[in-house]
Amino acid sequence: MQNNMIKISNLEKIYRTEEVETIALNKMNMEVKEGEFVAVMGPSGCGKSTLLNILGLLDDPNGGSFLFNGEEIAHYNERQRANLRKRTIGFVFQSFNLIDELTVFENVELPLIYTGVKASERKERVEAALDKMQIMHRRNHYPQQLSGGQQQRVAVARAVVNQPKLILADEPTGNLDSSNGNEVMALLTDLNDAGTTIVMVTHSEHDAKYAHRIIRMLDGQTVTESILREQL
Amino acid sequence: MFKNYLKTAFRRLSRSRMYTIVNIIGLTVGITSCILIGLFIKNELSYDRFNKNADRIVRVNMSYGNSISTSNAAVTGTKVGPQFQLTFPQVESYVRLYPISGIVKYQDKMFNEKKILYADSTFFQIFSFHLLRGNPATALSTPNDIVITPEIAKKYFGDADPVGKVLHIGTEPGSQNDYTVTGVVADAPAASQIKFDFIASFNSLRKIVDNPQWFTANYYTYLLLHNPSQIAPLQKGITVYMKEVNKNELGMTGSDFLTYHLEPLTRVHLYSKVGEGMEPSGSITTVYILGIIAILILLIACINYTNLATAQSAGRGMEVGIRKVFGANRRQLFSQFIGESFLLTIISFVTAILLAVLLLPAFNHLTDRTMSASAIASPAFIVGLILLCFFITFISGGYPAMMLTHSGLTKILRSGFHVTSSGCGLRKTLIIFQFAVSVFLIISTLIILQQLNYINHRNIGYDKDYVIELPVDYRMRSEYGAFKRAIGNYPGVTAVTGAYTGPVNIQWGDAISAQTKSGNISFNVNAIPVDLGFISTMKMQLIAGSIFTPGDLMKMDTSNNNANFQYTYILNETAVRKLGWTPEEAIEKIINKGAPGIIKGVVKDFNFTSLHQPIGPLVIFLDPSFVNEMLVRVKGSDVPATLRFLQETWRTWAPYRPFEYHFLDEDYAHLYISEQRTGKVFSIFSILAIVLACLGLLALAAYTTVQRTREIGIRKVMGASASNIAVLVSKDFIKLVIIGIVIASPVAWWAMYKWLNNFAYRIQIQWWMFVVAGVLAIFIALITVSFQAVRAAIANPVESLRSE
Repeated sequence: MQNNMIKISNLEKIYRTEEVETIALNKMNMEVKEGEFVAVMGPSGCGKSTLLNILGLLDDPNGGSFLFNGEEIAHYNERQRANLRKRTIGFVFQSFNLIDELTVFENVELPLIYTGVKASERKERVEAALDKMQIMHRRNHYPQQLSGGQQQRVAVARAVVNQPKLILADEPTGNLDSSNGNEVMALLTDLNDAGTTIVMVTHSEHDAKYAHRIIRMLDGQTVTESILREQL
Repeated sequence: MFKNYLKTAFRRLSRSRMYTIVNIIGLTVGITSCILIGLFIKNELSYDRFNKNADRIVRVNMSYGNSISTSNAAVTGTKVGPQFQLTFPQVESYVRLYPISGIVKYQDKMFNEKKILYADSTFFQIFSFHLLRGNPATALSTPNDIVITPEIAKKYFGDADPVGKVLHIGTEPGSQNDYTVTGVVADAPAASQIKFDFIASFNSLRKIVDNPQWFTANYYTYLLLHNPSQIAPLQKGITVYMKEVNKNELGMTGSDFLTYHLEPLTRVHLYSKVGEGMEPSGSITTVYILGIIAILILLIACINYTNLATAQSAGRGMEVGIRKVFGANRRQLFSQFIGESFLLTIISFVTAILLAVLLLPAFNHLTDRTMSASAIASPAFIVGLILLCFFITFISGGYPAMMLTHSGLTKILRSGFHVTSSGCGLRKTLIIFQFAVSVFLIISTLIILQQLNYINHRNIGYDKDYVIELPVDYRMRSEYGAFKRAIGNYPGVTAVTGAYTGPVNIQWGDAISAQTKSGNISFNVNAIPVDLGFISTMKMQLIAGSIFTPGDLMKMDTSNNNANFQYTYILNETAVRKLGWTPEEAIEKIINKGAPGIIKGVVKDFNFTSLHQPIGPLVIFLDPSFVNEMLVRVKGSDVPATLRFLQETWRTWAPYRPFEYHFLDEDYAHLYISEQRTGKVFSIFSILAIVLACLGLLALAAYTTVQRTREIGIRKVMGASASNIAVLVSKDFIKLVIIGIVIASPVAWWAMYKWLNNFAYRIQIQWWMFVVAGVLAIFIALITVSFQAVRAAIANPVESLRSE
């Protein structure tokens, strides 16, 4: 029985504007075990992205508990969250979010710079990541010069270069055609097989089948959970 | 990490070309202005400070008059220096200076030299001028010693050794005219109030030295004190001492007085209120005004950066977001954005320094200075530039950097980066500021130019056009009458006269007394000795009595030791009024100005000093022996031919002197040289300000239009016409410009009111000046913005919607 990497209970997130109050997460409960691959599904506006932002320590909840590796972090301030985030979490976005002014190599290098890794080691690790994603030959190109699939491979390389324990993927195949999409899913599965925990938000039933478990959300709550296969 | 920032910054700048160009142009112009004006200010503030004794040297100014009027002058009699050194222990030594121009001859070389200076032998001990050859202690100690600059040595002696050579200088009649060169002195620094080509020993002026006078004030006296703290006690001592002198030595009665004021050497250039110093003074006001203008221009450029950077930050949200997601903290992001602004600033700085060096000659011409570009490399200036560099970096880049790094992460990720409404408010404020400054400068320029135009075209009471001035020196006086007749007979000449100076700037100070209904009155006046025909040649208007006639010359009877000597006077209206008479009453009345004489005529008031001063009392008296200038009124039809004729005639009558002439209206223009300069400076900088402000507006309009592409598309789909869209886009900007105008107008009114108050004769500030400036600003802004607005308006709406 693996340990829980993530355990959230009664998690609340409410967005307020002057006149409207939107409940994005409504006393949500969920657990993710170490090494697990979880897909989160649900219609638009059900709170998937909010959940992912909170899990990724990009945003803080209004209430409830958030245990990360057994430690309560719901009350963390931005600096603490940033510190934890850059050491343990990698992100893959639907729209790749590469910086246009930086080359492929420099984009992948970015997280290492901010965690203070030495230049020589950075080079080694970036090259290893690029190799693994089979995009090494494009190392000096700029994002605009790459296809969507190639861009997402760069984004995945960037997400894993820091060897994070958790990868959060927000519709990673949303902007890709099916063959490129399959390639990216294969990459994620490989990473998961190597021990990385993955939480992926998706609209695609096809992609969701790569996961161990699917959580379906509606109106800020978990409605069903289905186990597809056992975690090894 | 730093490399990464620099890389991103470089790539970003090369990709956003308009942004980069607008910023670099703006900052370069701003920094160039700052460097040039900085050089000017440094030059002005360092004036005369090259003298090692600068803080111990004072200039002695004379003040004399009575309870009715007081006059001040930067010159004194010859007695002040030696007498003060004898009387006051605080005075270590003194030097008297007497600048003249004269004809200098060596063998067959002959030139009219303008910068000959007589100076006491202490000159090189008191001032720190650098003697290249000769002994500073003795170079000026014996009569007829002369020290010259290397340039003059070259001019007269070529490559030969100048020391020991003899120069002939035609100055005063009867004085020994051969001067032996005893040394070579380096040119005076540009920032020196004392400048020279020749320095001759003061004791060459034997008659003057042997007979020291309190009055006959033609000499500049500088004292060297033992230490700077003695200025105030010495001043007190002088005031007390001069009271004694007035009573016991000068026999003054009533409220008449003569005293002296000490002015520290280093304050003379910028602060002296006493006119006619060794060279035209600068003014601390000019230093302030230029300093403020430099800062304003720089702020406008910085604002362009701030505005463009915040407007552009819309496109940078993702980058900030990604960097934050992957672990960048605020400090790191802030350094990154400040780094960008630093990079732009550095690029602009390098360009600006090059540009400043290129423009320095033109700027020297504009400011009438001789500053050298090497001053940019002085340590103080470099420190200043580095500080300025950081200042600009943080002023312009600080806000955008803060704004970008302080926005919440999820907000950026969720909805992209939106320029916050508060940032928008700041941007609006900054645009208002830019246009307020521009409009302020435009209004000021308009008013200054109007006043200059008024000066040029005001009826000053005589006709200054088409009058040629020729110098008359002592050797010509014997032939003056014949020379005058020869010129007067030429058909291109309508009238000839002579006078001590032209009527443009009559500086001769004098006093008159007269017996009137209310007793004996005396007061200070300006006076000018003239030749026959002065009033008519100058086309002055006589309002009572008659002009001078040859018969009046007969009254100047010098026989019998001047016992029956009489002057004949023509007074101006102000003088007559001060005496309590009407012009008609004044005729045939007797006044005394050294010698008694009758008032023969009254001339309508004319401006005989600059329009800064109200017209004071003036006495015109007939005495051709004082003539220094021949005034020739010529026909406007063929001036070159007349000049050729004058030159030929000159060669016949004065072969020992090169032919040199100038026009009276040039003298007049010269009076307002500082105002002309102010006018030019304001014109240039207001154009710069408005161009920079518009450049910023252009770029900002471009960005806003891009941001509103979707809105514009939707409006067009809903049926908005191209003109609707153009108005929509322009409206917001024009509103800001109008607010700028509203703010600038009263400030400009106040500043210009103050400036105009310096003139006794001035234009009234009119409402239309503000309207013109306002309309001009709106018009220029409208053209700038509509360029973008029209482009947005005529774009295909499908395109603009698709691009979202």
